[in-house]
Order: sequence, then structure tokens, then C-alpha cells
Amino acid sequence: MLTRRTLLACGLAAPWFPLRAATDFGGVSKDEFVLGTSAAFSGPSRGLGIELYRGAMAYFEHVNRAGGIGGRRIRQKIYDDGYQPDPAVTNSTTLMVEDQVFLLFGYVGTPTVTRVLPLLKKFQDRDMYLFFPFTGAAPQREPPYGDFAFNLRASYGQETAGLVDNFVAVGRRRIAVFYQADAYGRSGWAGVRKALARHGAQIVGEATYRRGTKFTSVMRDQVNILKAADPEAVICIGSYAACAAFARDAVDFGLNVPLANLSFVGSENMLKLLSEGRDDAERYTDLLVNSQVVPSYEDVSIPAVQEYRDLMARYNPEVPAQLVTEEYTPFAHSFVSLEGFLDAKLMVEILRRLGDDPSREGLEQAVFTIRDFDLGIGERVSFGPERRQGLQGVYYTVVDQGRFVTLDDWDRRFANVGA
Amino acid sequence: MSAPEPDGSDIKVKKLFRKTTFGVFMLFGAIGLSTSILNVYTVDTHLSEEYISNSKGIAKTIADASVDILLNRDLAALQSLIDQFLEIQGIRYIYIANESGEFIAHTFVPGIPEEILQSDPLSTETVERSLPGLGDFVEVGNPILAGVAGTVRVGMDRGLIALKIQRAIGQQMWLFVVVGAIGVVAAIWLVNLAAKPMARLMVYAVSLARDDEPANAELLDRDDEVGHLARLFRHFADQRSSGGQ
Repeated sequence: MLTRRTLLACGLAAPWFPLRAATDFGGVSKDEFVLGTSAAFSGPSRGLGIELYRGAMAYFEHVNRAGGIGGRRIRQKIYDDGYQPDPAVTNSTTLMVEDQVFLLFGYVGTPTVTRVLPLLKKFQDRDMYLFFPFTGAAPQREPPYGDFAFNLRASYGQETAGLVDNFVAVGRRRIAVFYQADAYGRSGWAGVRKALARHGAQIVGEATYRRGTKFTSVMRDQVNILKAADPEAVICIGSYAACAAFARDAVDFGLNVPLANLSFVGSENMLKLLSEGRDDAERYTDLLVNSQVVPSYEDVSIPAVQEYRDLMARYNPEVPAQLVTEEYTPFAHSFVSLEGFLDAKLMVEILRRLGDDPSREGLEQAVFTIRDFDLGIGERVSFGPERRQGLQGVYYTVVDQGRFVTLDDWDRRFANVGA
Repeated sequence: MSAPEPDGSDIKVKKLFRKTTFGVFMLFGAIGLSTSILNVYTVDTHLSEEYISNSKGIAKTIADASVDILLNRDLAALQSLIDQFLEIQGIRYIYIANESGEFIAHTFVPGIPEEILQSDPLSTETVERSLPGLGDFVEVGNPILAGVAGTVRVGMDRGLIALKIQRAIGQQMWLFVVVGAIGVVAAIWLVNLAAKPMARLMVYAVSLARDDEPANAELLDRDDEVGHLARLFRHFADQRSSGGQ
């Protein structure tokens, strides 16, 4: 029998012969959409992958129980990459080539996503896109890979610029950086550097740590390096375990200045590490100011927040058992799961706009039809060929009575810190 | 004059063994030491040259790959690039400085060492560095876009060269021990082979001296030094007998 492979081998596959069957790289059937995910479900940053997944699943579950999208349920095919680049690349290849998912959704981390982006370019003839990765880094927002990803959250550049602007506004111009020694850390470092340059200032000191560092690690060297620079504030670009360890040691070794963290840190996990089993947790948490890219999940006056809280309570999503390799107690609510929830809500809207005969070829155009879309958080979402990031808002939070609350007055909060 | 009393079995073969064994050990020791010194020098020189050559190649590759990324001002992608090269065996650190000499990407933890902060990051010379707490390194540099976009510098771990030298010398020592042991066994066997006819010759000579029935008379038939000596002893004995009559 003459198969397509035989024809190809014989050089007879003429241009009129379809090189790609309609079912290849589909990921959509009359019953379901299959979304592919590679994220951290193990290791010191597993809380990020787990919370993001739980938030997204709360909304997907809600949609599925209501009959899906045009009768199609949403199913996530998930792999654990442990927040490491090589497994992320392997998982993504598997998702695209073997599992033939419809699109990639809900990835976690800059070092992982940065390495996956070339794969998307490689498969660009298959219209494979990455939706709403949990990273604010530049590579998936700019050429040459910006065309293969859609972002919902604000960028690290926006988060760091906001932090720098606010610190400078309260007279703290000597800013140092503590960051993860990889693409994520560098992305944040570059954002701080650029923001300071606008104020005619420079980073006064920098210290790094290795990705995967645990809370039990000692950060004395990093604290001493930064202390020598005599900063008035430190912006931390890391994940919760390492940043919590740094905050602990900064206080213990006498670096008493405001410690800012980006949204990626996983605020609730960080707070838990610094508070658990301590009577004097305020010593460590009073210095924190964390930027967020979604509003506070405590603010139930925001419609999407109320919806998120309702659906999280109703479905309480759990990570599939085969991905649970280490103990983890999820939070009822968190900034990360709220972000996952909003990601899922927008994803559903995009899939809905694909119509009755969804195909991957129509994805990009479906995204571009999102104009002034109300996600329910106040800020409206728009996409277009030159606009591949939906939200621009950055929120600032501090710890008050054991929980993160919105920071209203920077001056009052940090007036006496380090004085 | 009384006849000599020595017995053939009293021959001091052990002394011969000791001297031979000592000689073999000394010989192998001298060979081992000299070849080890030569090997250390050769391996060190060749590996260092290879390391420097590889490092320069890697630095050039990074420099070439960095151009577009630098021009796009995407430092996260630049960091991701150098992180991948850090997985190559022997590379311990990489840093990139822009045209102003500012460190815009590096792999140091917990921070850039003071020695490197004090050096010229735009230099492309090959230097050897000893960084406290990190080790000894060969560091090479390569300009990015002919230097107008900055410089990339790569540090290769000299500790790995030392480890390879240790391994090479260790393997060589094992070889010498094995060959030396075989040499000693062979020497003992050869000495034994030579000593046995000598012992029998001694017994023969003693029997002649005592005017006993000559023992080991078959030695007279040998066509070697032992045979010649046996016949000589026999001749002296015959002369002594005829002179006495």
C-alpha cells in the first residue's frame, strides 16, 4: 500500500499532497480541548505550579460542569518540570509531538519558558502558541519569540519600575538587588537597572543565589555583600524559599531595610515560611513589600475575586495524584491561584471565540478579537498584533496581622525602617 | 691443608635475590619517577592548551550568539544563553561586560568576586586567576562585535586539569606496580634458574676437594660455563692427584 511516508521516501510527495494530515497536532475533538502544561509540581518552587494549576482548574471545572465550550470539555495534560529548563523542553516536545495538545497553557518560570520559546518557533508552521505563562520576563514579549506567546500579567519591567519609582519617591535611591542566578533573576535585575537609570541612579550592590535553593540555606554571604553596599532598599528577584531565607538572614545579620519581592515569589508561601512556628514573625515580615499583578484576593468588592473565592470553595481543585511527590498544603486563596483563575477565564473566552469549528489556525485571530474585555477585576483586557500582554496593572502589598494587604502609604510604612 | 667445608646448599642465593630485587625496584622507581614527571608536564601542557583553545572557541561562540540578543537588549535571553554553556564540563564561570565595562550577565554566586570586579572586563587576554573560595582558573576573553558591543569572558577550572593529571599518574603508577611485581617474580625465577647449576657445581667441587666419589658428574657433559668450570675443577683435581704421586 502506498502510504504518505512511502511517497515521501520516494520523493513523490508533491506540493498538492498534504504533508500534514488534519488530525496531526490537533488537540481538539468534538468532546474536548486538550491544553498542555509543564510547570513546577516538585522542588522548592512547587507551590507556584500547584497554586497556579488549582486556580485555573477551579474555573475550568466550573465550565466543564456547565457543559464545556460548545460541548467540548477542557482537559489539561500536565507534566512536572521541577522549575528546571531541560525537563521543561522535554515535556514541551512531548506535549506538542506525542500528546498533540491544542495549545500550551499555564507554564511557570522564566528559565523554563525562555528555553521553550525556540521550540515554539520551530513548530510555528503548526500554529502552536503558549498562553499566559507565569512569568513577567521579556523574551516571550519581544522579538524574536514574542509572536509565539500571549501574556496576561504585567511584565517584570513594570513591576520593578513601580517598585523603584515608589522607593525613590520616599527617598530611598540606594537600591541593591538580590536575585536568582538565571534568566528570571537577570530579567528582574535588568528591570531595576533600567528603572534606576531613569532616575539617574545605579544598582548599588548585587548578590545572587542558585535556583533551587531551600529555605534552610544560609544567606549570610549574600547579606554581607549587600550590607557592604549600604543600600536603602533591596529588590529581590527570586522564588519564595530563597527569598524567605534571605529575608530571615537579612534581619538576623542586621540588614534592616525594606525588602521588595516580585509577584513570582509566591507571597503566601513566603509568608508561611517566615511565620510558621515563630512568635516574632513580624520582625521578618514587617520589612516586606511584594508587588502583585492581580488585585488582592481579600477584596471581595471585585467581581472576579468573589467569583474566584466561590469557585475555589466549591471545587477545591487538587493536583493529580501522580504529580504529588512531595508534601504540600495548598492555600485556600493566594495571589498565584487567583492569577491562574484569571488565566483560565480568559482562555475559556478565547476558546469560545473560536466558534463551532475550532482550529489552531484560528487561535491568533480569536485572541485579537479580545478588545476591552471585562475579566471582572476593573482593568479591561485587550490584545492585538502589537499588544500581546493583556493586563498592565501592578499592585503593592505588605504584611499586616499575618496576611498580605494593599500598601496605601509607602512613606508611612517605611519612614523609620533602617533609620 | 684441610679441605674446604662449604656445602652447595649454603650458597648465598638470598643475597643475590636481594640485590636483584633491589636493582629491579630501583630501576622501576627511576623509570616511574622520570616518566611521571614527564607525564605531569606533558598532560598539564596539553590539557592547558586544549582548555585554552576550547575556552576561546566557547567564548567566541557565545560572543557570536550574543550579538542579536544584545542588540535586542534582552538580558534574560543573554543570561539563559550563558547558563547553557555553564553545563559544559570544566567551565566554571562566564561573564559578559558591555562596551562600558558594566557586567550585564554573569554566573557567579553569591556575587562577582572582588578580583574580577577590579580587573578590566573588556580585556581579551588569557589570564590565570586564583579566586578565593572558588579555585584556580584559566580565563579567556573574546570581543563581541569586534568589541563595540562588549566582551565575553570564560573561566575554565584548572582543578579539573589537576584531577586529570592525578588520574593519569595514578593509572601509570598502577601499571608500574603491576609490571614491577611481574619483574620481581621474573627476576627471582631467573636467578633461581642460574643459581641451581652453580649450587650443583659447588657440590661437585667440594666432592672433588674431599676426594669423594664426584657428585653431579653429569656437569662435565654440559656445554656451558658451568660445564667448563666443572671440567676445570676436574683438571685441577687430576693435577693435584698426579702431583701427589
